[in-house]
Amino acid sequence: MDVLRVEKLKAFYIMESAGEERAVKAVNDVSLTVRENEVLGIAGESGCGKSTLLKSLLGSIRPPLRHMGGRVTYLHRDREMDILSLPKEERQKLMWQHISYVPQGSLSVLNPVRRIGDTFRSFVGAHLDIQKDPDRFESLVRSHLQDLGLPVDTLKAYPHQLSGGMRQRVTIALATILKPRLILADEPSTALDVVVQRGVIQLLRDIQTEQHNTIVMVTHDMAIHANISDRVAIMYAGRIIEEAPVERIFAKPLHPYTQYLIGSLPRIGDKSYRLSAPGTPPSLADLPPGCAFHPRCPNAESICRREIPSLSLAGRDHRVACFLAAKEDADVGSSEALGSQ
Amino acid sequence: MAFLKRYLLPRIVQYLVVIFIGGTLIFIIPRLMPVDPVQQTLERITIQGAFLDPRAIEQIREALLELYGLKGSLTEQYITMWRRLLRGDFGPSYVQFPTPVMTLIRISLPWTVGLLVTTTVLSWIVGNILGGIAAYYSTRRWAQLMENIAMLIRPIPYYIIALALLLLLAYALPVFPVTGGFSIGRRFVLSWDLIVDILKHAFLPALSLVIVGIATWFMTMRLLVSNLLAEDYIVYAQIAGVQDGEILYNYAIRNAMLPQITGLTLSLGQIFGGALITETVFSYPGLGTLLYSSINTGDYNLMMGITLLSVVAIATGVLLMDLIYPFLDPRIRYE
Repeated sequence: MDVLRVEKLKAFYIMESAGEERAVKAVNDVSLTVRENEVLGIAGESGCGKSTLLKSLLGSIRPPLRHMGGRVTYLHRDREMDILSLPKEERQKLMWQHISYVPQGSLSVLNPVRRIGDTFRSFVGAHLDIQKDPDRFESLVRSHLQDLGLPVDTLKAYPHQLSGGMRQRVTIALATILKPRLILADEPSTALDVVVQRGVIQLLRDIQTEQHNTIVMVTHDMAIHANISDRVAIMYAGRIIEEAPVERIFAKPLHPYTQYLIGSLPRIGDKSYRLSAPGTPPSLADLPPGCAFHPRCPNAESICRREIPSLSLAGRDHRVACFLAAKEDADVGSSEALGSQ
Repeated sequence: MAFLKRYLLPRIVQYLVVIFIGGTLIFIIPRLMPVDPVQQTLERITIQGAFLDPRAIEQIREALLELYGLKGSLTEQYITMWRRLLRGDFGPSYVQFPTPVMTLIRISLPWTVGLLVTTTVLSWIVGNILGGIAAYYSTRRWAQLMENIAMLIRPIPYYIIALALLLLLAYALPVFPVTGGFSIGRRFVLSWDLIVDILKHAFLPALSLVIVGIATWFMTMRLLVSNLLAEDYIVYAQIAGVQDGEILYNYAIRNAMLPQITGLTLSLGQIFGGALITETVFSYPGLGTLLYSSINTGDYNLMMGITLLSVVAIATGVLLMDLIYPFLDPRIRYE
């Protein structure tokens, strides 16, 4: 069952300079589905629109970002709700109890002048009536922190007194306290050292096992995707260019960009020189015509320079937006049986 | 003890240094003015038509120099000044001789403090709340209207506003008295009448100060909060569905408050210098009027007394601020 459906979503940053409007096409015609209980990973390099996509999924579109078309539909209690056209109060009700959000746990994400406990109070208080039963709120927060293995003393601390890893755990605890069906996480492990990263990712996994939530995980770190994601969508220049179960993305990437991405990852024991995609990603304000990747693509043909490839099925549960990969369809189909085992 | 040594001690030393430098400047500056207080007093005596022979005048001059503490070299005068100040003695006023400066200040101080503490605190509270709200709801019509009004008032020179109020509400529509702090000839016996009389006289000066004060605090607060609205922790709380009121007070205003509290302490310290223009325009019997007349008449002692009081008040405000700040901002520690 699909719990979240994104249809042809467009969200551009509209910049005005010298009376001229420039559109930075951060989310450009993205369609995506998220299935119940899965972990969907969204990967791509910095500036490809991952975080903007996530912000749009949260309905947090504020100038200069503008919604230019498309729908983001959540399935909540058998009702379909388009978060981008929902009135503010309805959206606030949907948040945290149904959809929640884990931001990067940097110092700036928690109110610097209030204790962590106060942040819990305002976040939970926005959705439950905690005035009526303050004891229940206290015990809810305490038991939740204990479940996640966080010291209860954290509640008395100010954000600057916590380490980066602790702050990230706090944002995860905040996001999961009301047992939401869906958790959208934006680079939750970036800026942490690898040991702490592992702990944070493990925490998210444990919560998912326990609460059976669906997770959308945005990170550029392919190792994290290998670790936690069930399916991975690769973004490039504001579009999703490939989407497949995680094993397939690593074993048989079809899009040349994905191939470079996977090919550049180090492997234990393999000392050969790793190639990454030549050139640099295009500016989102000035995209090349046709496939945005064609200037960097070694196999680009004339059609790639003229037309934008659409995301189409290239094997079971595997979609790719590339004219050249689609040609190999037959080949892909026959190896499908092997790949899924 | 680490707190005492590392945090408190340096600040107290700094406090004393500021007062010392202030006192020194106050000693030097009046002596650079082209007004000679002894000459002024002599003129006042001769202007009354009394004929004095030059020898008598010379004797009076000697006596006055002695009294005013103007005898001897500058260094000697400087040392005499500090010796007196440490005893809390600002000496006699030259012009209203022999009334001590302290007495004159004590008479004027309540007027100024009463007027300025009320208006400063009131405009600070109202300006900050309105500024915060206007920034948070900046897309609403009423918020933009408030901002436009504040922007209109801000650049108008203060004395124009004061004079306009005076013309409008005391002259054209004589609702309020034109000058003074109380009705002439009123006896100071505590009564309901007296309070009403004083409030009525204080209303226009207070209104002029409050209008400008609110506009000023409004503008700074609006800017502070609108900058804060892009902060991650506010966007995060908004995504989490936290109610606007909660975000406005506990997230936006709470954080924007920190520089504003510093501003309030400084303005409260400045009160002890008097509100020169306000008091002059409304002939209000406060410290500002006293300071103004002391400058006109070359009354060194009085000038020094008022200015030093103001220096001490501001320095004390800053010191208190330093001590309170760690309670307001948990990121600052006593180290």
